[in-house]
Amino acid sequence: MIIEESILSKEVAAVANALASTAQTATPALEIRDLCKTFGKFTAVDHLSLTVRQGEIFGLLGPNGSGKTTTINMISGLSTPSSGEIRVLGYDVRRQVRQIRQLLGAVPQETALYEELSAWANLDFHADLFGIPRKEKKERIENVLKLVQLLDRKHSRVGTFSGGMKRRLALGRALLHEPQLIYLDEPTLGVDVQARRAIWDYTLSLREQGKTVLITTNYLEEAQALCDRLAIIDHGKLVALDTPQQLKQLYGAQVVELEIAGTGHPAEQIRALPGVKDVAVETVQDGYRLKIITEGVNNLVPEMINLVSHNGALRDITMRDPNLDEIFLRLTGLSLRD
Amino acid sequence: MIQERSYTLRVIWACMIRDIRSMLTDRAFTFIGILTPLNAFLLMSLFVLAGNHAPAVVVMHDRGPLAQQFYQSMNATHAFHLDQTDAQQAASLLQAGRTVAVITIPADFDQRVQQNQPVKVGVQINNLNTDFTNDIRRAVPLAITSFYAHAFPDVVTIVPKEQDVYPQDTDYLRYLTVSIIIIGMMFGGVIHAGTSMSHEWETSTMKELLLSPASRWSIVLGKMLGAFVVNVVSTAIVLAVLILAVGVQPVHWGEVIGFSLLCIIIFIAWGTLLGTVIKQRKEVVVFSLGLAIPLFFLSGPFGPISFSVPLIQGIAHLFPVYYAIVLQQHAFHGFDLNTYGAGVNALILGAYTLLLILLAALALRRSTIAH
Repeated sequence: MIIEESILSKEVAAVANALASTAQTATPALEIRDLCKTFGKFTAVDHLSLTVRQGEIFGLLGPNGSGKTTTINMISGLSTPSSGEIRVLGYDVRRQVRQIRQLLGAVPQETALYEELSAWANLDFHADLFGIPRKEKKERIENVLKLVQLLDRKHSRVGTFSGGMKRRLALGRALLHEPQLIYLDEPTLGVDVQARRAIWDYTLSLREQGKTVLITTNYLEEAQALCDRLAIIDHGKLVALDTPQQLKQLYGAQVVELEIAGTGHPAEQIRALPGVKDVAVETVQDGYRLKIITEGVNNLVPEMINLVSHNGALRDITMRDPNLDEIFLRLTGLSLRD
Repeated sequence: MIQERSYTLRVIWACMIRDIRSMLTDRAFTFIGILTPLNAFLLMSLFVLAGNHAPAVVVMHDRGPLAQQFYQSMNATHAFHLDQTDAQQAASLLQAGRTVAVITIPADFDQRVQQNQPVKVGVQINNLNTDFTNDIRRAVPLAITSFYAHAFPDVVTIVPKEQDVYPQDTDYLRYLTVSIIIIGMMFGGVIHAGTSMSHEWETSTMKELLLSPASRWSIVLGKMLGAFVVNVVSTAIVLAVLILAVGVQPVHWGEVIGFSLLCIIIFIAWGTLLGTVIKQRKEVVVFSLGLAIPLFFLSGPFGPISFSVPLIQGIAHLFPVYYAIVLQQHAFHGFDLNTYGAGVNALILGAYTLLLILLAALALRRSTIAH
C-alpha cells in the first residue's frame, strides 16, 4: 500500500504557508466570540470572547472548574459549543474540525501515550494518524526525538520513562505533524525543576519558529515566564486579558511588606494614605505583617514607617513587584490552587 | 478522493498494527485472551458432560443370552452410563454416592422370561437429584419395551416406523458443542474488543485518537481489525478442539470458515460498542459475562428454538447469538433450525454487524473527554 501525502496535509500545508506569509497580520490563530457551553443548568463557559494572535504564547489561567478545559475541548472539536463561534486559523470549528485538528498539536495533561510501546512506536503511530508522508516520517521522528532529547531512548518502552521524559515525548509528538497552533495543558504539572526548565525552553523556541502556543496552567510563575498575554477565566467568564506586565499594573505598581513587633498595627491609618490601594493584615509571632499595595508612590514608605513606630517596633521591610497570584486573588477572590 | 481513501486505509492499518503491537507486549494478557474462548468451550462442554448420562451399575446374576440382550437394551437408551459389577461393589458404590442406581438382573432371568413368567429386575435409586432419578425411572421401562421388541417381535405388535429428516443421528454432546463454540467466540470477541476500546479511555490515549483528523469509523474499524486477528487465532484453536478432539466433522467446511469469521466480526463489533460506551475495562468484562451467558441460553443452544415457548422464540430472534447458532449448526451438521435459509441468516448477522459498527462509530463521535 503506497500512501502519499494526505489530502488533508496538502490542504492544510497550503493554508499554513499562506498564513505564514501573512503572519502577525489578518488571520488570528484563534478567535473566540461569545462562546457558551452549558451542561444542563450548569454554565461551564459563559459568553467568552478572546483573540489569540499568530506567533504569540497565550496563557489561559483559572482555578479548577473555571472552564479552561471545556474551552480547549471546544477549540479542538472534542466538545460542541452551545452557542458562539470559534475559528482556528480561519477555520470554523463546527464545519471544518478535521482541518483544525491537522493544524492543532495538543499536549494533554495526562500525556496520553501508549506506555507499553516504545517512544518510536508512539511517534510512528501518530505520524500515521496525521497522514505524515511516508518518505518524511523517519526523518521527522528522528528530528523530534532529537529535539526532546530522547533519541537515545527511542526503543525504550514509554512505561519506563520518568514524568519529565513522558512530557517531553508528548510535546515531541504534538510537534511531529508540524502544527501551527500548539496547545499545552498544564505542561509542567508534576515534573521536576530540571524538566520544567527544559519544557519552558522548548515552548519559548516554538515562538521563535513562528508557532502559536496556547497554555493552560495553574502556575503563575510559568505564565509570567512564558506568556505574551494572559486571559484569566473564572466561572466560565473572562475576568482579565492583557500582558503579564499590564495585569500587574492593574493590581498595583508596588507591594510593601512591613513586619511589626508589638500588640497593635496602623493598618487603618496606612489605608487612608493617598496612593495606597489596599492593606492586608496577617498575624505573626509577637506581632503583625502588613501587606500594602500601592500605586507606586515611593515617598509613602517614610510615612508608613512613621505610623508603625507609634504602634511598635519595625522588624522588617520588603518592597517588591506584585505577583500574579495576588492579581488573581484580587480579580477572582480565589487562590489559583483552590 | 483516492488520497483521502489512502489516508483512511492508512489510519485503519495503523490502528490495527498498534493494537496488535500492544497485545504482543503484554504476553500474559494475550495468552489469556487467546485461550478465553477455549476456556469457555471446555467449561460448557464439561457442564454438558456432567449432566449427560446418569452413572449406573448392573449386577448380572444371570449371564444368559436374554439377560445380555436386556443389558444391551438398557445401554441403547443412552440414559445411563452403565458398568457391570458384583453386588457387594454395587452396594458400596451406591453408599458412597458414586452411582445413581444399581440394577440387579436376577439369576433366573433367562429362564423366567422364556417361561413367560414375571421377572423382578431390582432397581435401587439414589434419589438425591430428581434429574438423574427421573432419567433412571424413564429409562428402565423403556429398556424393557425395547428388549421385548427385539427379543420377541411377535409379542410387541406396536412398533415405531421412523423416518429421519436428516441422514445422520447427532448425539446431545455433538449438537451442543457446536452451539458452545458460539459462546466461546462471543466471550473472546466481546471481551477482547471491549477491553481494548475501554483501555484507550482508561489511559486517556483515546484523546490522541480523537484529536487526530482521522474519521471515527476508521478508528473503530482499525481497532476491530486488531481484535479480529487475535480472535481468528483463538477461534481456530476452539474449532480444532471441536473437530479433532470432540470429533465433530463439519458437513460444509466452507460455511464453517465463513460463518466463524462472520461471528467473530459481529462479536468484536459488539465489544467495540460496549467499550466505547462503558469506557471501563472491569465494567466491560462484568457486563459482557452478564449479557453473554443468558443470551446464549436464550438462543437455543440445546435444540431448535422452535421447540421452545413463543416468548423465548421471540426473544431469541432479537439477538444475533440465535442466528450464529443456526448458521453453525447448518455448517457442522447441515441442520436447518429455521425456515430462513443459511443465506438470509447470514445476511441478518451481517446487518447486525453493520449496525453495531455504525453505533460504535456514532458513540465515538459523540464522546468527549471528560474532566
